[in-house]
Amino acid sequence: MNHDPYSWGRPTDSMYGQYNSQIANAPTSLEGNMASGANQHTTSPIVTGTSVVAIKYNNGVVMAADNLASYGSLLRFQGIERLHKVGKTTMVGISGDVSDMQYLLEILDELTIEHNYDNDEYSDNVDELQPDYIFTYLANLMYHRRTKMNPLWNALIVSGVNSKTGEPFLQYVNLLGVKYSSPSIATGFGAHLAIPLLRKLADSEEEAQKLTKEQAIQGIKDSMRVLFYRDTRSSKNYSLAVIDKDSGITYDNDVNVEDMSWKFAKDIRGYGTQKV
Amino acid sequence: MTSVGTGYDLSNSVFSPDGRNFQVEYAGKAVENGSTTVGLKFKDGVVFAVEKTITNKLLVPGRNRKIQTIDRHVGCCYSGLIPDGKHLVNRGREEASSFKKTYGKNIPLYALSERLSQYVQAYTLYNSVRPFGIAAIFGGVLKSENGGDNKPQLYMLEPNGSCFGYKGIASGKGRQTARSEIEKLISADDFDIETFSAKDAVKEAARIIYLAHEDNKDKDFELELSWCSLSETDGLHKFVPKEIYDEAVQYAKEETGLGEDEDSEDNDEDMDE
Amino acid sequence: MNGISTDIQHLKKGEVNLGTSIMAVTFKDGVILGADSRTSTGAYIANRVTDKLTRLQDNVWCCRSGSAADTQAVADIVQYHLNLYKMQFEEDANVKTAANLLKTLTYNNKDQLSAGLIVAGFDKQSKKGEVYSIPLGGSIHQQPYAIAGSGSTFIYGYCNKNYKEDMTKEETIDFMKHSLSQAIKWDGSSGGVIRMVVLTDNGLERLIFYPEDYENL
Repeated sequence: MNHDPYSWGRPTDSMYGQYNSQIANAPTSLEGNMASGANQHTTSPIVTGTSVVAIKYNNGVVMAADNLASYGSLLRFQGIERLHKVGKTTMVGISGDVSDMQYLLEILDELTIEHNYDNDEYSDNVDELQPDYIFTYLANLMYHRRTKMNPLWNALIVSGVNSKTGEPFLQYVNLLGVKYSSPSIATGFGAHLAIPLLRKLADSEEEAQKLTKEQAIQGIKDSMRVLFYRDTRSSKNYSLAVIDKDSGITYDNDVNVEDMSWKFAKDIRGYGTQKV
Repeated sequence: MTSVGTGYDLSNSVFSPDGRNFQVEYAGKAVENGSTTVGLKFKDGVVFAVEKTITNKLLVPGRNRKIQTIDRHVGCCYSGLIPDGKHLVNRGREEASSFKKTYGKNIPLYALSERLSQYVQAYTLYNSVRPFGIAAIFGGVLKSENGGDNKPQLYMLEPNGSCFGYKGIASGKGRQTARSEIEKLISADDFDIETFSAKDAVKEAARIIYLAHEDNKDKDFELELSWCSLSETDGLHKFVPKEIYDEAVQYAKEETGLGEDEDSEDNDEDMDE
Repeated sequence: MNGISTDIQHLKKGEVNLGTSIMAVTFKDGVILGADSRTSTGAYIANRVTDKLTRLQDNVWCCRSGSAADTQAVADIVQYHLNLYKMQFEEDANVKTAANLLKTLTYNNKDQLSAGLIVAGFDKQSKKGEVYSIPLGGSIHQQPYAIAGSGSTFIYGYCNKNYKEDMTKEETIDFMKHSLSQAIKWDGSSGGVIRMVVLTDNGLERLIFYPEDYENL
C-alpha cells in the first residue's frame, strides 16, 4: 500500500499492472464526447491531513493525529484539529482530504442533533449515540459514495467506549468502504510506521486487555515521534485523545513530539568511507 | 356564526359571503379545547410549561413527552391536535437544518417563525388539505458566536398562519386564566425582566399551569417543564432537571393550594429514569 | 443530449487565469484585502490593471485567484444570495455566512471549478475583522491573515515572520505592501499595481500602489 493520500483508491501496479490513465482521463459527460457517458468526480484530494493512530487498552482507547493540513508539499494550515468528539463517548479521527472532513463533520453534527431530538438526558427511552452506531453510519456513507464513483477522500478511525457495556471500540473505514477492526489501527503512513510499534505493545485483544492507559499513551506518543521523523507531511504539534470507560474523554489538542534524538547526527560523516 | 351550516364551512378554499374561512376557525376550536400550554420569557431565555391531562390510567407516568426540540436552541410546545404539532415540529427541524447548511449558523427565531408561519398559512388555501389544529408556542435564545448581546425570543403560531412575538403567552383550555396571570405577573410594579431569572420563571410557569388547571379540577394531570437559557443550559433547549422541577411543583402547589393531589406526587418518582 | 458539443478541456486550457498574489490581513480596527492586478492567458498578459478585490456585501469582500470566469461566476452567485438574505431578514449577513456560502459552492462543484478564494470582512457584532481562506477543494479555514495564489508561495516565510496581531492600519498596509512586492518580484504570473481595500467600522477605503511605489521599498 502506498501511504500517500494521492495514490489512495488506485489499484497497485504490482497487482493490476500500470494504472491506465486513459480511464481517469476519459471524456466525462460534461465534455464533447457525450457518447462515452462516463461520469467523473473527485480524482484527487487537495488539502490533506496525514496519519491517525489509535490503540486499545484495558479500559478504553487512545488516539492521536497531528494538527496539520497540507497543500501538496506545502504545510499550509497549522492548528487544524482532526480528532472530533461525536456524542458522549466517541472520537472520530480523520485523515485525507480536509474539505471532505469538514463535510463529514457537518453530517455528524446533524446526526447528533437528530439523535437528540426526542432523546435528551431527561427524556423518554434515553439511548446515547454509541461508537458502533456512528461507525456503521460512516462506513455505509463511505461505501455509498465510492459506489457512486464519487468517494469521500478519507480514511477514518472511530474509537470510543460503549456507554452501556463499557466495551472499548476501535474500527477503521476508508474511501473504498473497506472496514476492519484491530487492537491497534493507523491510517496512511501510520499503517507502515506506527503499527509495528503498537503491535509490539499489544498484538491481540488479550494483550490489549492487559495494557495500561499509561503504556498505551506512551505507545501512541512514540508512534507520533517516529511519524514526525519519517513523514514529510507531518507536524510536531498534535492532538491526543483518551477515551476511558470510567473517566470519559480527555482531549488535548496541543501536544508536542517529545524526547527526540538528534545528537547522533554530530558523528555522521560523509556517506560511506569518508572520515572527516 | 351566521353562515354555519350553509355550506361555506365545508372547504378550505371557499370564503363565506362575509369573508370568513370557517375551516380555519374550526381549527381554532381544536386549539381551544387542547391542553393548556404556557411559554414565558425571562432574563436570558424562555421556559415552556405544559399541562398533560391523564387521559388513560395505563399511560406510563413521566413518559410520552409533549414538549419537543426543533433545534438545539429552540423548544416547542402546542395545544390542539398532537400529531399536527409533531408534523409542524418536523418541518421546523428541516428548516433549521437547511438554514444551518446554507448560512453556516443556527437559525434565528425570527427566521424560523417566518418559515413556519408560511408553511401553516399554505394549509388554509387549498380544499385538498385541512388547516393545522394547533397553536404552537416556540422560542429560545441564540447563543452569540461573537460576543453580541442576544435576547430570548418567544412566538405563538396560530392555525391561520399568523405568528406574533410575546413576552409570555398561553394557549389551550386554560389560556384565559393563564394569560391574565401572565399579564398580572409582568405588569407588576416590581417586575423587571432583567432580574427575572430562569429559576423564577420555571416556578411561575408551573404555578400558572396549576392555576389554569383549577377549572378542570376533576381531571388528573402531569406537569411538563422545559427551558432554554444562556446561564442554565448554555443556550440549549432541555427539560428542567428533577430538583428544580420538584421545587417548582412544590411552589405551584403552595401558591395555588392545589397541593394534595396524590397523583402528581407519584409521578415525580418516575421523572428521572 | 443533442446540441453543439464543445471540448471543455480544450477551452479550460486556453482559459484566462488569475495567476495572482492575494492576501487579507486582520488588524486592530478591521481587515485589509490586497492583490496584484495581472491576468494572464498562458504567457500573455490579458489585463494588466485587473481588480481582483470583489464586493460581496458592503462589509464583506473577497480576493479571487484561479480561473477568472469561475471566480467571477461564484462571486456573483454569492452576491445574489447575500442580497436575498438582506431582503429576507432585514439585516446584513455575517462574514462567516458569506464565507460559508462561497465554501458550499466551491465544495459542491469542486470538479468543475478552479477557484482559490479569500473572504474577508468587518463583523458588525464583534467590531472585528475576519478572514476565511477557501482553497481549491472547498475546505474553509478561519485565519488571522491569509495569503493565496501562485505568488503567495514565495512569501510564506516573510509573512510568517513579520505578521503581528493588532497592528495599526499603517503597519498593516506596510506589511502587505512589502509582502505583495516580493510576491510580484518572484512570480511571473503576478504583476502590475497593488490594490487594497480597507474595511473598518468607518466603511471602506480603496488604496492603490504603482510599481514605482512598491518596487524599491
